[in-house]
Amino acid sequence: MIQLTMVGAVAAVIGGIVAVTGRDSRLVAAGLFLAMVAAPLVSSPEPTYTALVFRGLGALLAAYLLWAATRNGSISSEGSAIGVPAEVVAAAAAFCVGWYVVPVKPLAGPLAAQAAGIALVVLALGPLAGRNILRGGVAIAVIALGISLLMEAWTASASSLDQIVTTAVMVGIVGATGLLISPTDVDLADDVETDGLADEEVGGQAVSEPDTEPEALPLTGRARRLGVREPRR
Amino acid sequence: MSLLVFLVACGAGALLGLAARPDGWFGKLVGIGCLLVAFVAALLIRSGTSLTVGDMALVGSAYSGLFLACATASGLLICVVALAAGWSYEFAPAALASFAGLAVALTATDSGVALAAGAAATTAGALVIAKGVPRNEAPDGRLAEIRTIGLVAVAFMFAGIAVARPPWSNPGDSPVLVLTFLGVAVALAVRSGAVPFHVPAAHLGRTARVFAPALLLVWIPAGLGLLAVSWSATVFGNHNEWLSNAVVIVQLIAIATIVLGGLAALVHDELEEVVAYSIVADAGFVLLALAARTDAAAEPARLWLLVFVAAKAGLVAWAAAVSHAFGTSNLAGLRGWLRRTPLLGLALVAIAVATLGWPGSAVYEARSTIIRLALPGSLQLLFLASIVLTIAYGGRLLLLGVLEPAADVAAARGERPHWGYAAAGAAEATADLDPAAGSPAAAEPADTTAEATPATRSGADATLPGVAAVGLEKGAATTRRHGSRAAAAANPTLAVAVAAASEPASTPEPEPAPDAPRKESSPWGPRLAATWRFNRTLEVSLVVVAAATLAAILAFGGFNARAASQSGIPLDKAAHATPTPTPVPPPPGPTPTPQPTLAPFPSGSALPSGSAAPTPVPTPIKTSGPANGDTG
Repeated sequence: MIQLTMVGAVAAVIGGIVAVTGRDSRLVAAGLFLAMVAAPLVSSPEPTYTALVFRGLGALLAAYLLWAATRNGSISSEGSAIGVPAEVVAAAAAFCVGWYVVPVKPLAGPLAAQAAGIALVVLALGPLAGRNILRGGVAIAVIALGISLLMEAWTASASSLDQIVTTAVMVGIVGATGLLISPTDVDLADDVETDGLADEEVGGQAVSEPDTEPEALPLTGRARRLGVREPRR
Repeated sequence: MSLLVFLVACGAGALLGLAARPDGWFGKLVGIGCLLVAFVAALLIRSGTSLTVGDMALVGSAYSGLFLACATASGLLICVVALAAGWSYEFAPAALASFAGLAVALTATDSGVALAAGAAATTAGALVIAKGVPRNEAPDGRLAEIRTIGLVAVAFMFAGIAVARPPWSNPGDSPVLVLTFLGVAVALAVRSGAVPFHVPAAHLGRTARVFAPALLLVWIPAGLGLLAVSWSATVFGNHNEWLSNAVVIVQLIAIATIVLGGLAALVHDELEEVVAYSIVADAGFVLLALAARTDAAAEPARLWLLVFVAAKAGLVAWAAAVSHAFGTSNLAGLRGWLRRTPLLGLALVAIAVATLGWPGSAVYEARSTIIRLALPGSLQLLFLASIVLTIAYGGRLLLLGVLEPAADVAAARGERPHWGYAAAGAAEATADLDPAAGSPAAAEPADTTAEATPATRSGADATLPGVAAVGLEKGAATTRRHGSRAAAAANPTLAVAVAAASEPASTPEPEPAPDAPRKESSPWGPRLAATWRFNRTLEVSLVVVAAATLAAILAFGGFNARAASQSGIPLDKAAHATPTPTPVPPPPGPTPTPQPTLAPFPSGSALPSGSAAPTPVPTPIKTSGPANGDTG
């Protein structure tokens, strides 16, 4: 009989592979969602429905944050540096290693959690070496998920608060990735007040000063929000 | 209850602040209001405070309450400064989110939860990193930040495994503990900007939002340092060569950070960089406390972290206030700043005193104890070096302040109080200024244009027509680009905009006959508002002085800081209480069990792998020595 923990472990690893190797950002978000939803299933005893629902909502939020940051299509992942087949083989090999090695004896949690955890950690090592922020952020999320599975396998400490905090870490990492890759907002008035120490550059991009007279400038940002009307021309 | 209120205030404030981000006043109201509620709630967190979440409990202590109160208070003061010196809509939500994570980390009875919550708190730092791709060879703060977040998350989550001490197959768990110790230390060093990981920290002025150093270099590293020092009890009983080598590496990083950070603060000319290196240098003491590997270092480290949070957040606010007052952050352009803003000079002295203390004061003893415990005798001179360097770069700033004022400083408005009736006159003087000439304003701007600019600019927030508002914002941006208020005064575009801006405010009604007496309707309301706007520099300086005073009080053991530092956080107990699985031959007879320095939880539920609900622990946690007074 196929156990739920085994299904969850395999699904988490497949989700990790999709997230790490996908080029389309929607595919990356979907893979991350699958991995985050499947990971809490790899637990013994089985988690409560409340914990599952919470982890599922967290996965949905994380996937949405990533999708929202990349939905304009201008941002995409570089995909795998070594190719999808190589990533699959590496993940499978790591899964097998995790299945047979015995670093902790006796194992407090399910063996599948250890195997999936090691596989996810191995999967995430490659993208961490690159300079692509999306790939790096996704890899960090995957490696954090792998460590949470290893913690489950080695210490079996998946309390309700643990589930909440693990979800917060995952959402935080993915949210941070989404924030850092989102396009530059050049309009200073939308980001930082201009009457103080606001950066003259946003994201390293200089905000060019138009050489037009003030009368010719359209209303933007803060002035429009203040309800100021467009002057007559 | 107070813990719940704190978490709700921080969580709701972070979410609402982010959701309301494009809306100006609501975001500010939410940020400041929630920080205020969180501060009051943190003051009420005591040793008996508990909050049960499912089958796990969050247990407060005197120290966690004081630390959170100190962090939220400094955050509140910085936000008040930001109201005048440049509000960033991401800062308050980011601070609130990280405070929520730190609150869980400092009160969780499960070590895995505590360390993972610390990692979660770190992720909020991404909110204050500027978006966008850097130009050319400019540093990419986004890449550094995501790597830092990843390193902290991995190190602290794995530390959660190590502190639980699963039964490893190989005899002993030394390799795991050594790797985890090194990982936690490096993660803390990277987050703190320690040498040689200091480059992103030094460039925060360009790659992050205003006030970001307070979050990225002060509050989050302080919380992580607290967790790391508590966690390090896990390795106290582990003695092997590899761990000794790892400790040497941490010691080297700490020494390099204290010495080179202080030197860097001494030689850099941008105020943001001076402040960043000053914070980085003082963060080296936390690394030393981690390297000390003894309970005796925990208490001074906790006290030092309290002072560090208050003093360094105050220093960030001080730098922002100085830059705001004079329109530049370059030290060459800040010559004579002390003459115009003596209150800020007082605040800087207070911050330096809070950082160093003097013999017999709590902070002085804490710093000296950390160095004495962490370094061999031949390196004890590091303590003296840190004092000398701090006095040197602080003295350099003060010395610059008493020199002949630079053009920016001469053109800027000082802390001298102004009254509202001057607003109309100053605005008229600005309107009468010939834009083509420009030079009169540059020559004598202190009493006319330069003084009118901030007031009329503030007034423009509510009353300006669109053209004037746009003109003002563009003019202000040009001012910053040139780094000079004098340039703004000489800028014809800004002068025209200021003239247009001041017109509706000064003539809200139809112009009376030339010979008619000026109508004096409601003399106090507009005058008070104008007075409020005219004295922004003074108001900001007073807030900075308040922040510096808070740090000085803590540095001398006020607010029960010394006694609270003797109580720990629940992670201390978890790190001490977890048994070492290394097989030990049973003694031949009944021998008294050595008393751990920390009492284990009364029920086994507080162990990291425990699943039963723990009972709140009303008694304070002792780590070393008796408490001097009330610890709860």
